[in-house]
Amino acid sequence: MRNICAIMQRELLSLFCSPIGYIVIAGFLLITGVSVLWTGSFSPGKPATLREVFFWTPWVLTVIVPAISMRAIAEEYRSGTIESLMTAPVSDVQLVLGKYLASLIFYVIMLAPTLVYLVLMRIYGNPDMGASLAAYLGLLLVGMMFLAFGLFASSLTSNQVVAWILGWVPLLLFACLAFFVVGLVHGWVRAVFQQVNVIGRFDEFSRGLITTDGVLFFLVGTALFLFLAVKVVESRRWR
Amino acid sequence: MIEVRNLSKHYGARRAVNNISFTVHEGEIVGFLGPNGAGKTTTLRILTCFMPATSGSATIGGHDVLTESMKVRAIVGYLPESVPLYPEMRVREYLNFRGKLRGLDRAARAAAIARVTERCWLRDVIDRPIGQLSKGYRQRVGLADTLLHNPKVLVLDEPTIGLDPTQIRETRSLIRELAEQHTVILSSHILPEVEATCQRLIIIHEGRLVASGTPDELRQRITTETNLIAELRGPEVDVAGALRRLPGVTDVRSSSQDGWTRVSVATQRDLREDVFRLAAEKHWPLRELRREVATLEDFFVKIVTGTLEQRA
Repeated sequence: MRNICAIMQRELLSLFCSPIGYIVIAGFLLITGVSVLWTGSFSPGKPATLREVFFWTPWVLTVIVPAISMRAIAEEYRSGTIESLMTAPVSDVQLVLGKYLASLIFYVIMLAPTLVYLVLMRIYGNPDMGASLAAYLGLLLVGMMFLAFGLFASSLTSNQVVAWILGWVPLLLFACLAFFVVGLVHGWVRAVFQQVNVIGRFDEFSRGLITTDGVLFFLVGTALFLFLAVKVVESRRWR
Repeated sequence: MIEVRNLSKHYGARRAVNNISFTVHEGEIVGFLGPNGAGKTTTLRILTCFMPATSGSATIGGHDVLTESMKVRAIVGYLPESVPLYPEMRVREYLNFRGKLRGLDRAARAAAIARVTERCWLRDVIDRPIGQLSKGYRQRVGLADTLLHNPKVLVLDEPTIGLDPTQIRETRSLIRELAEQHTVILSSHILPEVEATCQRLIIIHEGRLVASGTPDELRQRITTETNLIAELRGPEVDVAGALRRLPGVTDVRSSSQDGWTRVSVATQRDLREDVFRLAAEKHWPLRELRREVATLEDFFVKIVTGTLEQRA
């Protein structure tokens, strides 16, 4: 546990020491702000809800989240620090978990300022707080799974840009395009796409619907990709 | 302290390390010598549990590097060749981080950081970002990191590469000091480097162990055939003839100038005393007498160029 904490703290320090961290936060907040304006969520007469904003957030996250996790393991490979890390008494699991927790904390810090919109809406209107909080739980879960996937992508390469692209392309293809494909196909293919339809699943949360099925989907996805990341880090030694 | 048995490592079809065995005793300071690409780093990486061997085994302090990896890591301090550090961290932050990974609590970390800062002359830079440090200071930070947990075994991969001559001298004397409390294994491709710091050398080439022993032992091995150079005042024919009759002489070459005869005697033994007696007996004044000893450098170059038969 001490090792996980140590790695997590160091990783957070690095995230906030590099310009990438601030660019990611600024980019995310800018896009969110623009989408608040664009959807006209604060226009007089509109229902007091952020659902339209939330609808676009997972799309943004597919690109933004892998940028948070891209450097995590790839940079250790590139700079060779993996060698001093993996010859200290640190296990592969501790390394991956420490990195993951750091990126998750960073993600929460990035998400937190958007609560301002909810507070404003509460001041000027009467939003459904239950549904809004459910949406934030959904964002957290989506972020958890995307981060785990991004970390897995980062463990595959020593190049941050490659890690970023390996992160967002599959996320965009599988998670979000499934949202469109699901209406076009039939039979078992449709069943599969329905399962991996991240946008659709997130939409349930933003409607205020928290299902065991939905929560489990994201948690299992997170666990799966973290497991894969550990395995990839382990496999480096056998080459 | 370190036991290596028939260690091999293959990268695909290439054999980086080929059936190496050696032992390092406690308190020894051993130099691992070989040209670039000989398999030094690979061997050290196997010893420090960074990668597993293809076959063979290695133990440090009685713990197997593969099955008891965490125990081995706890007693080993390893300085990789590239001295990987996090440039965005300050020296103190970095050492603190490494101390945590080593399982030191807050008080022990503070004490350890103070100790290694003193030891590795880091006091001036302790609060500077690592990215701003010169190569020499970075090397010291790396070394300080390996000393944090007071490891029984220090594994240093090319610890003086890229340093300037003053820093090399400082680092060497530091390593010698460290050897009083730690078992040290260091690698280098520069012979004088290891000759100056190590009690024992292990020479590897193309993944194979070609020679090992103390510098003196290795020197003896190559000085089985030595040259004796002497300059005496006497007739060339008499001098050469008398020397040829000495026991153990295989060849005599001579030349003469101004009444002085210069001879080069190939021999298995040290004949300096015999030559002196001969000169005294025959009343030949003697103005030069020396034994030409082949240097370790010659030996090393022969190994590297492949002109020496494997005798290990």
